[in-house]
Amino acid sequence: MTLPRPNRVLVTGVSNPLGAEVARRLAPHVPHLYGCDLRDPISALEEMDFVHADTRHVAIGKLIRQLNVDTVVHLAMMVDSPRDERSIHETDVIGTMNVLAGCSAPSSRVRRLIVKSSQAIYGAGPADPSFFSEEMTNLERPASSVTRDLLDMEQLVSEFALRNESCQVSVLRLGFRVSEDTTLARYLSLPIVPTFAGFDPRLQLLHEDDAAEAIERAVLGRHPGVFNVAARGVVLLSQAIAIMGGTPAPILPPYGRWMGRLAMRAVAHVELQAHMADVIAFGSVADCSKLEAEFGWKPAFNSRAVMDALARGKTLEVIEAPSPPQEYELQVYLQRRRRSAGNGHRAGAVLEAHP
Amino acid sequence: MIQAKTPKQRRKESKPAEIVQAKPRPRLAKSVKRLQRQAPLLAVQGLSKLSARLRQGTGREIIDMNRVMEFVQFVYKQQELARRGANYEVDDFGFDPQWTESFLSVFMVLYRDYWRVETTGIENVPATGRALLVANHAGVLPWDGTMIKTAVFAEHPQPRHVRALVASLFMGMPMLSWFLRRTGQTVGHPDDTRRLLERDELVLVFPEGVRGTGKSFKDRYRLRRFGRGGFVATAIRSGAPIIPVSVVGSEEIYPMVADLGPVAKFFGLPYFPITPTWPWLGPLGMIPLPSKWRIQFHAPIHVEENPPEAAADNNLVMALADQVRDTIQQGVYDNLKRRRGVFL
Repeated sequence: MTLPRPNRVLVTGVSNPLGAEVARRLAPHVPHLYGCDLRDPISALEEMDFVHADTRHVAIGKLIRQLNVDTVVHLAMMVDSPRDERSIHETDVIGTMNVLAGCSAPSSRVRRLIVKSSQAIYGAGPADPSFFSEEMTNLERPASSVTRDLLDMEQLVSEFALRNESCQVSVLRLGFRVSEDTTLARYLSLPIVPTFAGFDPRLQLLHEDDAAEAIERAVLGRHPGVFNVAARGVVLLSQAIAIMGGTPAPILPPYGRWMGRLAMRAVAHVELQAHMADVIAFGSVADCSKLEAEFGWKPAFNSRAVMDALARGKTLEVIEAPSPPQEYELQVYLQRRRRSAGNGHRAGAVLEAHP
Repeated sequence: MIQAKTPKQRRKESKPAEIVQAKPRPRLAKSVKRLQRQAPLLAVQGLSKLSARLRQGTGREIIDMNRVMEFVQFVYKQQELARRGANYEVDDFGFDPQWTESFLSVFMVLYRDYWRVETTGIENVPATGRALLVANHAGVLPWDGTMIKTAVFAEHPQPRHVRALVASLFMGMPMLSWFLRRTGQTVGHPDDTRRLLERDELVLVFPEGVRGTGKSFKDRYRLRRFGRGGFVATAIRSGAPIIPVSVVGSEEIYPMVADLGPVAKFFGLPYFPITPTWPWLGPLGMIPLPSKWRIQFHAPIHVEENPPEAAADNNLVMALADQVRDTIQQGVYDNLKRRRGVFL
C-alpha cells in the first residue's frame, strides 16, 4: 500500500500547549494545515486555518469530510485535567468516537490517524511488572476513571483500525509530562512535598519537546501501531523532589490512597487524580524499545534531564507573554487576507458553517 | 521635613562598604575546632591502644579493632551518601548500588557473627554473565534472600550484586517496598526476570514463594512444590544457567508453630505466624533466633544448552524443575548432616 505524504492535516485540540507545538512543527511540512479546538489558539500560526469546533459534537465528522483532510492528528484528549470525570469521559471516549465516525465515512479520504493516548492507561500497582510494554494493558483491574476511559478509547481506535485497513492508525501513549501546568509538575514544585509514607517509586517523565517530536514523526513517517513514548531512565521520587529544591514529607497514609488525595486537596490544593496517586505510590515505567526500533529515534531528554529542565524553569523569572487574544485577532486578520487573495474558498466556507 | 539629599550630602554621610558575613555563627576557638575535627581519629586511636593493652593483659581479643573500623566506616559512608543529595543515578529498576553497599557492614554482622554462615561452592557462581540462582525458601520473613546476597557479595572473588525477585505482596508494603527496590530487588514477574537476565545480572528466585516462608515448623526441611516451573522456561529463553542454592538454618529463625488463617485474611497477608515469641512479645518477637546457617551453591545446571523453543516443552521444563528441586532438597539434607546442631 502506498501512502502519500500528508497533504491536508487536521489537528484537534490545537489550543493546548502540546497541540500548538505540534502545529508549529507540522506547518513547514504540510501544504494545508487545519486546527480545531474549543478555546482560542495560544499562538498565532499563519499557515494554520483555525476553527472553533467541539469533538464532543457530531459536527466534527462533518468538518473532517468537508475539509477533505487525509490526516487527522487527534490530540483533544483529557488525561491530566482538573475537570470532572464526566467531561473527561465525554472528551476522551465520545470525542474520539465522533472523530472516528468522521474518518470512517464512505466518502472520507483519511489515510492517517494519529491518536494521543497516555501512559496512565496502564495504571500502577504493587504487582505490576517493572516495565510496561504495549500489550500489558489490564482490562480486569479496578481502574481509575481515566484509565478506564483511555482503555475504552483505545478499544474504539483498534476496532476502527481493523475495519479500515486503508487508514494507517498510530496510537502514541505519551509518558507523564512535567511542563508548567501538569498535576505532577505542580505537585513536585511544592516547597514541602507530601509523599506516601514508606514509598519512593521510580518516576519516568517525558519532555514536552520530545512528545511533540514523536507526534510529528508519527504524522510524517509511516508507523502504524501502538507505541509507548517516554524518556529513558528513571528518577526516584525523592530525587525529583530534591532536584526541585523541595523537602519530602512522608505524611500521607500508605494504605487508602483516597485519604491521601483528600489531604492533598485540602492542604496543598493539588488535585491528585486516582491514577496519579497510584503512580506516586508505586511508580509506572514504560518500555519504549518498540518506539526506538520502529521510529529509529529516541527521546532526547532522559528523565533526569526532564527534571533538571523543570527545575531550571522554576528558578527562571516568568516573562509576560503577549496576550493570546491579540495574537488570535492577528491570525484571523492574516487568514482573511490570504483568503481574499483567492486560494482559500473551502476553508472560508467551513469557518462560516461552524461559527 | 523629608528632603532629597544633594549628592554632596550623600557623599559626606556615606560609609565605606563592608563585607557582610552570610550568617553570623558563634565562633569556636581554634583549639576546639581542631579537637572537633580530630575527635573521631583520637577516639579510634585510644580504642586501639586500649585493645592492644587488653590483648597483652588477658591474652585474648576483647575489643576487635576490625569490627570497630567497620562501624566507623559505616558511619562515614552514610555521611557520604547524605552529602551526594540528588546527584546519583539509579538503574531502570530503581537500584542504587552505592547505597546498597553502604549497608553491607550491617548485613555482615548478621552473616558472620549472628548466624555464622558457612558458605560452600561459591566458585560455582560465574564472575561475569547471566545466571539464575534458585534457592529454597523458609523462615517467616525472607532473611535467606539477604544472606544469599551478602554471601555472593562478600565471599565471591568478583563481588556481584544479586537481584532477587520478590513477591508482589512485599512490593505493596510501605518501607519494605522502598528498601527492596533500592537495594536491587524487583517484582517476581516473568518479564522482569527476562529483562534482568538480558542485562547479564545474577538473578535469585525462590520458586516456593510464600508457600515456602509460610511452612510450619514440623515440615521445615521439606521443600514445597516449585510453582509451575516458570523459572526454568525463563532461564531457557534467556540462555542462563541455573545454579541451585541450598540454605539451611533459615528454617529455625522463627519457629512457626501455628498459622492464624482468619487473622491473615483480615490483614490481607498469606499467613499469620504464631511463634514462641510472636506476637506475645510485640516487636521483640520479630528478632530472629541465632541459628547456625549453611549456604551451598551447587554446580550449574546448563539449561541454556537447550534451544529457546524448548521453553514451550512442558515435559522438559517440569523435568528440569524437578531436577533443580531434587538437587536443592538433597543439599538441604547434606548440610543438615554436616551441621553439628541447630544453634552451634
